[in-house]
Amino acid sequence: MIKLLNAGFTRLRKNKAFWIWTIFSICLASCMTLINYSDMKKFGDVIEIGQLMLNYPTMIGIIIAIFTSLFLGVEYSDGAIRNKIIIGHKRINIYLSNFIIITATSLFQYIIYLIIILSLGAPLFGMGTLPIQTLIVKVLLMCAVIITYSSICTFIAIECSNKTLTAVINIMSIFTLLMVATYCYSRLGTPPYIEVAKINDKNSGNYEITQEPNPKYPTEEEKKVYQTLLNVNPAGQTFQVGEKNDGLEILPVYSLGIIIVSTTLGLVLFEQKNLK
Amino acid sequence: METILETHNLEKRYNDFRVLNDVNIHIEKGSIYGLIGKNGAGKTTIIRIICGLQEPTCGTYTIYGEFNSSSNISNIRKRIGAIIETPSIYGEMSAKDNLIEQYKLVGMPSLDGIDELLKLVGLENVGKKKAKHFSLGMKQRLGIAISLVNNPDFLILDEPINGLDPQGIIEIRELILKLNKERRITILISSHYLDELSKIATHYGFLDNGSIINEISSGELMKKMEHKIELTVNNTKEFVKYFEENNIEYEVINNKIINIYGSHNLSKLIRQLSNKNLIAEDIHEYEETLENYYMNLIGGVKHD
Repeated sequence: MIKLLNAGFTRLRKNKAFWIWTIFSICLASCMTLINYSDMKKFGDVIEIGQLMLNYPTMIGIIIAIFTSLFLGVEYSDGAIRNKIIIGHKRINIYLSNFIIITATSLFQYIIYLIIILSLGAPLFGMGTLPIQTLIVKVLLMCAVIITYSSICTFIAIECSNKTLTAVINIMSIFTLLMVATYCYSRLGTPPYIEVAKINDKNSGNYEITQEPNPKYPTEEEKKVYQTLLNVNPAGQTFQVGEKNDGLEILPVYSLGIIIVSTTLGLVLFEQKNLK
Repeated sequence: METILETHNLEKRYNDFRVLNDVNIHIEKGSIYGLIGKNGAGKTTIIRIICGLQEPTCGTYTIYGEFNSSSNISNIRKRIGAIIETPSIYGEMSAKDNLIEQYKLVGMPSLDGIDELLKLVGLENVGKKKAKHFSLGMKQRLGIAISLVNNPDFLILDEPINGLDPQGIIEIRELILKLNKERRITILISSHYLDELSKIATHYGFLDNGSIINEISSGELMKKMEHKIELTVNNTKEFVKYFEENNIEYEVINNKIINIYGSHNLSKLIRQLSNKNLIAEDIHEYEETLENYYMNLIGGVKHD
């Protein structure tokens, strides 16, 4: 396993996609800080640095999907997995080493982002109103989400031997998770009442605004379903960690569940896979 | 002689399609074993199974006496180097970086020996050129260098000369012979380029429709492929007497048929025999090639 990790990290250091992602993370953090600083100066916006720190994981899933497809896709297209097995590495070790490398890379990118946001943003915005402990917990929850994304993308990349197909499935999967999360989140945010304007007199245009029950307001059972879907879904977790302060303690349990299920399933399938 | 690889009734099925059927091959230490078969005969499937990329549906195999079901088989595979179809090369890396990567994968304590390996395969002057820009022959040679990193004593090469130009074929052939002679590496090489294989192999396994139809050493095969003239005669004793007197290698097959071996000029021989009043009823000249031998084995027809 150590040999696999050593070789994997050596390849990572020479990998173009890795360096492009690193530059992107640095640029994104710098731009977000500067744009928010500009808004603060122009419009007097109150910038919460904690919120900036939690923004990246919402979109990081798509980047993890792209990077994993490129980095692990080459393992099949260039015959690297075949080579590793031929020289005596066990499949379980090959799978886990790839998962560790993808996870470490993704977390590294988030850490780079955090460092830039903190070093540039703290002098400009201060440390904000969010208690430091809460902020640390939220950052750790986001790290759990990143590990979850990594486990899903590794699973797809290892099970699918075709580089292009891996990229398509990975990106589509992460987009689907994002769309499902967006839908569930908006459904849960549906107001119970809506304002309805009733016209009393057509000639004078006199109208009265009344509050009526919202027909789209989900039932308690529907709410439970949407909430569960949001909890299970890593994209949904990023929405909740970014917006809420309560009820977050359950999220790492769901993350752990997904990581265990996807990795176990991936190992079982990879063990039985006929390689070319 | 130590047996490096032995398969026992190996069978592989993909759903209902049987790719391999009762395959039994034996590879002895120090040999160059040519696995011969047309496309789709099952050569690559055998190699994939031996290398652990696929599991056999039935049957077993041993590498250095260790069964495939053994928990130690992964360790045993550390003594193997292999190239299956295309060499395992990171196209974005240089030849040297590819070897460094393999050194790390194998767990070599230092990076010593990389330059020697590059020199061995004739890639010492490629510099930082990315492997994806190499010619096919260069890629094959780099693949062989990568497979030699763990100092294997058993090298498996699947169709190593496919798509190579004549120069590339000669380079790979010479490299294979060098590895076998100088490093004492046992080599399993699959190919459908029969003439090329006949220049290097010491043993052959002929594969057809997923079954080994013949296993033979090159010595035995050469004897079968030797140039011969077959004479059908009435007076066998007189012919034999003449051959004895003139030191001509012969073999009496039965009362009527005598085979003459060696590079004799047929018309000259007939003239010499007729001068001695030795007239054959029928004369056939045979020049067997590996290709003819293989085609006869699989019951096919060779089209020249």
